[in-house]
Amino acid sequence: MMTRLSTSLMTLLVLSTSFWTATGTASAQSPAFYKEKVLPILEAKCFDCHGPKSELKGGLFLGNREGLLEGGESGPSVDPDALEDSLLLDAINYGSYEMPPDSKLPDEEIEILTAWVKAGAPIPKEAEFERPEGHHANPATLVTPETKNYWAFRPVADPLVPQVTNSDRVSNSIDNFILQKLEAANLSPVSPAEKQKLIRRAYYDLIGLPPTINDIEAFVNDESDRAFEKVIDKLLNSPQYGERWGRHWLDLVRYAETNSYERDGTKPFIWRYRDYVIKSFNEDKPYNQFIKEQLAGDEFEPPTPDSIVATGYYRLGIWDDEPVDQKQALYDDLDDILLTTSQVFLGLTMNCARCHDHKIDPLPQKDYYSFLAFFNGVKRYGVRSHESVEDASIGPIAVNAEDRKRNDARNSLDRELAEHDRKINHVDRRLQELMTPPEKEDFQAVEVRVDIARKYVGKGLSQKLVSDYAEAVRRRQEILDTRPPEVAQALMVKEVGKTPRETFILVRGNANVEGARVEPSFPSVLSPPEPIIQTPSMTESSGRRTALANWIASDENQLTARVMVNRIWQHHFGRGIVGSSNNFGNIGDKPTHPELLDWLATRFMQGGWKLKAMHKLIMLSSTYQLSSQSSQKELAADPANNLYWRFNMRRLSSEELRDSVHAANGSLNLKMGGPSIYPIIPQEVLAGQSRPGAGWGNSSEEERARRAVYIFIKRSLVEPLMADFDFADVDSTCPVRFVTTQPTQALSLLNSEYMNRQAAVFAGFLKKKAGADSAKQVELGLTRITQRRPTRTEVDRGVELIESLKKDGVPDDVALKYYCLALFNLNEFLYLD
Amino acid sequence: MTESNFCGRTRREFLWQTGAGFTGTALAGLLSDDGFLDRQTVAADGQTAWKNPLAPKKPHFEPQATSVIFLYMYGGPSHIDTFDYKPKMKGMDNKTIEVKTFGRGGHRNQGRIVEPRWNFKQYGECGQWVSDLFPHKAEMVDDIAFIHSMTADSPIHGSAMLMMNSGKILSGSPCLGSWTTYGLGSENQNLPGFVVMLDPRGGPISGAKNWSCGYMPASYQATIMRSKGTPILNLAPPEGMSRETQVKLLATLDQYNREHQATRQDNSDLAARIANYELAFRMQTAAPEATDISQETAATQEMYGLNGEKSGTFGRQCLLARRLVERGVRFVQIYSGGNHNDANWDAHGDLEHNHNLHAAETDKPIAGLLKDLKQRGMLKNTLIVWGGEFGRQPTAEYAKGTGRDHNSYGFTMWMAGGGIKGGTSVGTTDELGSKAVEDRFHVKNLHATILNQLGFDPNKLSYFYDGLDQRLVGVEGAQPIQQIIA
Repeated sequence: MMTRLSTSLMTLLVLSTSFWTATGTASAQSPAFYKEKVLPILEAKCFDCHGPKSELKGGLFLGNREGLLEGGESGPSVDPDALEDSLLLDAINYGSYEMPPDSKLPDEEIEILTAWVKAGAPIPKEAEFERPEGHHANPATLVTPETKNYWAFRPVADPLVPQVTNSDRVSNSIDNFILQKLEAANLSPVSPAEKQKLIRRAYYDLIGLPPTINDIEAFVNDESDRAFEKVIDKLLNSPQYGERWGRHWLDLVRYAETNSYERDGTKPFIWRYRDYVIKSFNEDKPYNQFIKEQLAGDEFEPPTPDSIVATGYYRLGIWDDEPVDQKQALYDDLDDILLTTSQVFLGLTMNCARCHDHKIDPLPQKDYYSFLAFFNGVKRYGVRSHESVEDASIGPIAVNAEDRKRNDARNSLDRELAEHDRKINHVDRRLQELMTPPEKEDFQAVEVRVDIARKYVGKGLSQKLVSDYAEAVRRRQEILDTRPPEVAQALMVKEVGKTPRETFILVRGNANVEGARVEPSFPSVLSPPEPIIQTPSMTESSGRRTALANWIASDENQLTARVMVNRIWQHHFGRGIVGSSNNFGNIGDKPTHPELLDWLATRFMQGGWKLKAMHKLIMLSSTYQLSSQSSQKELAADPANNLYWRFNMRRLSSEELRDSVHAANGSLNLKMGGPSIYPIIPQEVLAGQSRPGAGWGNSSEEERARRAVYIFIKRSLVEPLMADFDFADVDSTCPVRFVTTQPTQALSLLNSEYMNRQAAVFAGFLKKKAGADSAKQVELGLTRITQRRPTRTEVDRGVELIESLKKDGVPDDVALKYYCLALFNLNEFLYLD
Repeated sequence: MTESNFCGRTRREFLWQTGAGFTGTALAGLLSDDGFLDRQTVAADGQTAWKNPLAPKKPHFEPQATSVIFLYMYGGPSHIDTFDYKPKMKGMDNKTIEVKTFGRGGHRNQGRIVEPRWNFKQYGECGQWVSDLFPHKAEMVDDIAFIHSMTADSPIHGSAMLMMNSGKILSGSPCLGSWTTYGLGSENQNLPGFVVMLDPRGGPISGAKNWSCGYMPASYQATIMRSKGTPILNLAPPEGMSRETQVKLLATLDQYNREHQATRQDNSDLAARIANYELAFRMQTAAPEATDISQETAATQEMYGLNGEKSGTFGRQCLLARRLVERGVRFVQIYSGGNHNDANWDAHGDLEHNHNLHAAETDKPIAGLLKDLKQRGMLKNTLIVWGGEFGRQPTAEYAKGTGRDHNSYGFTMWMAGGGIKGGTSVGTTDELGSKAVEDRFHVKNLHATILNQLGFDPNKLSYFYDGLDQRLVGVEGAQPIQQIIA
């Protein structure tokens, strides 16, 4: 039985009466109506945020008629052509907006405002207020010739290499640009780094691993002019280079292997994307090609296995499988892709223009949605179920029609196989209940199963069931024998079809309030060409992303090359020429050496967008080879080293730290590629999961000693050592990692199970290699940790500790282990000069 | 972003070299910086002088609260069965009515009423209605301010918990505790500034995302503290290592590190790392001391329900929370409920069974915490927050049974202490409790209130990230709930 608790009918009756008495339409146009009825409501309920003394939330001013008609970021409050549909009425009736937000106006007040708006919302002149000051548009945010002339939006120049006085400090043109500014500031660079320090720096920079003492001594003893160049070439050709530099890229694209939220489910096959990145760096793939593969590799004609896997780029973000509002979630996901793409490739914070025009840069809201339109054919990662993810985001790495046919055939056979398995399992279960123990024994062999089943016709199994069973077993075997080999699967981008969704400007970013329709176009401040969109013939997609990729990867793009050479510089020197490497806009850092940045960008493009040549160019400069030692005058004048009078010291990243532990104790496993590894995570940390241990696998000890880049990245469960040493936050793009110094790091390096286990391995290694003599053990240990021959004092200090512990009754092996633990805590181990 | 120099050295090195060393005082006081923290772009240069990110900092204005204890009722307690009295539902059990709801079961327009299962009585001078679920807390209502008109953006646990903890339904933003330590630092450098205690049945869904520092540096991450065994991960030296051995090891390490630093005086990170070993060593003693509740009298332990069969665990955690706050910890969050289904307040099946269990586990401990803080004079500057990620619907989720689905349209939370006006309540839901109707408040208003009590203008406490000055209350901003502020 239906019962109405609500008294709304009652209210309605009462209100109808008051409506006629209080708000006759005739009087609603009169000045008195406004002053006596309307204004008091506005003053009490609206002016706090939209009145003459407010900060004008959303840019809306309700104090005069101009303000009403002009409206705020969501559009005009009152629409003279369709008064009843005015946004003001929508908002007070809690439609697409809910105003005032704390509680809905009483019905009689809504009636008054409705009558007033319907009467055309007149405001008598004498009752109008002045719009408060300071709420006018910032000229820097308008697209004008002036704002187009902002340094980062100008075409890349090829500046002349400046002349310098101190030309004996010049190894290549980079030094000219650096020295010019130092000389202008009357400062000098410090002396070159010692060779041992330089090679250690180079190893970590390029491959993220320490050199051996033999590598170092060979370099120190090589007196040829090309000694360092040879080291660089060797490192650039090492496969470990891609693991180190690929990791920088993974930080940018927020690579993670799960989706976050309640289930934090695994992203199938996403490790192939990591392998793709590492391989691309190792192959020295031109950066413009790397861009095109990730943004539109599926639309290549024909695609390649790499170009398909590369589009996993679109699948790396967080995914709420149970969103509050599906439509809003679609736009949240697209925003995540747009944010990452615009910041990573272009150094633009276009995401700031989602709800309104950008407040700092000349990026109108319209440009945001025109840019979003390039992605608006992309299917959402999935809708709730795993099957939906398979449908939207998983596919075969099939590069031609034959592969695709093979894959389709295999899929259909797999579905048939599942059906046969179901039937077979059903009968097998029944048989388990019926069979005698000796029969159960025989049943282990596949060949006899049908015969055994036949014996039970009429004794628990029907004739039909058994003949179906026999057929299923036969067919199953046939399929297994003849089905085409599997086509590997990958997580990839897929579009809704040849025709993408229409794109509208979303008022205040609200997915349910559509404004004007827009077509794909590039940010207008860059004076871009019209996008050329051609529908691809081989894939069910729009071709829009290809147009985007071609523009981003073009030599004409003002930002792409600049942004990338800046990142290369950043990872060599610890800070980019533009410090805010994801933000080249007005609120970002200004370049310390804009001419150098352009000079490098030009060389980069002229060299075919190849990274390895840039590494070499940078590392062969005198600037890169400077010592990290201080100099009093320069430190006082330029303490942050903005002018590069010396090289910046740096701490190892979390990956470098872990890899170095394994390199030192001899356990490092350099196996490359494939699915991720799972370090042991302490119970205390697993206890934070709603199902402790869920979603975390096991790896053998040998696998766990692989490089840290292969550690499984679970968004809700970050490996604690990595977290303590400032691993990138993986929910959004990470251009620069933090370097924190905190006591939990000391606790973890001293007390964690992991470090103590590694110290024991180290002790075993030293005993094996150096024999029983403490001094030899200590000497070898220090050498492997610092990559230099230790001094006598340093060795004695270690021996002293071991002896003293032994005297206290600590067993020999344990004493050595504790010394090894101390070695892993040395500042010299964790810091590079 | 560089600190002023003393004869070419930074303040920090000056202290170190003049023998001041890195005592707690030095770390806490002298090295604190007036401004807020580094922008992300300068964090990695190795040149900017090291500053202790957790040194105590002054907020925008004189704070009412210096610490927060957030009692998180994971799963979402039913407001109409606890604090939001709905007399008109009496006698309506099983009647089908029209009411708009939105939960994990999606949007519905009608449902079968589940009449509140507990009797309500009025308590205290303020006359607040409380159900029989909470006989102990009921005695404390004159110290509590109830917000009956809470609303949130999501009725789904994953996103709703992120909303309650970090102000956004999207994953990736720092949580309340991180904002607090970012803004205020910590009073006690020997203990973590931000502590989370979990239900022994498991963490909440999304695990560490609920106490993540998001885009802020790891200095503001939460520390999980256990109420039994070693309280903090990696706190205890490895098994078999005596204190003497550890001291010897640290002394040797210190010699190596000082020698290394001698020629690199200008890099304050190196000195900071050296100091951090001293700090870590002190934490090894300080944290076990803080968690040693045997120092508490039998009467105190009884007050927290430590001897109760069901209330022992949560009681212990509440008592720990007081001891931590007493020692200067800024932000403590305790989860009541963990894991899935009825291991927390998520009463989809048998409402009575579920809420009787979780109320019995928490009622006496929470009342004890309030009483104890009050008698020690600590309640006035300790802000207590109680609630879950949402409330529950007035109607049944299924054709049979008393289970209620989630409700983010209206629910109750309460606050006490820290400058909150006790004995008040604000806002109402409709007569079914299906949605907030008067003085509606959003989770952001709750966050704004917490920040306000800690001395911040919630619309000014910001952190620059992704091209924006990010705020806990979002770019739109939010006002504190003035009605409950003393």
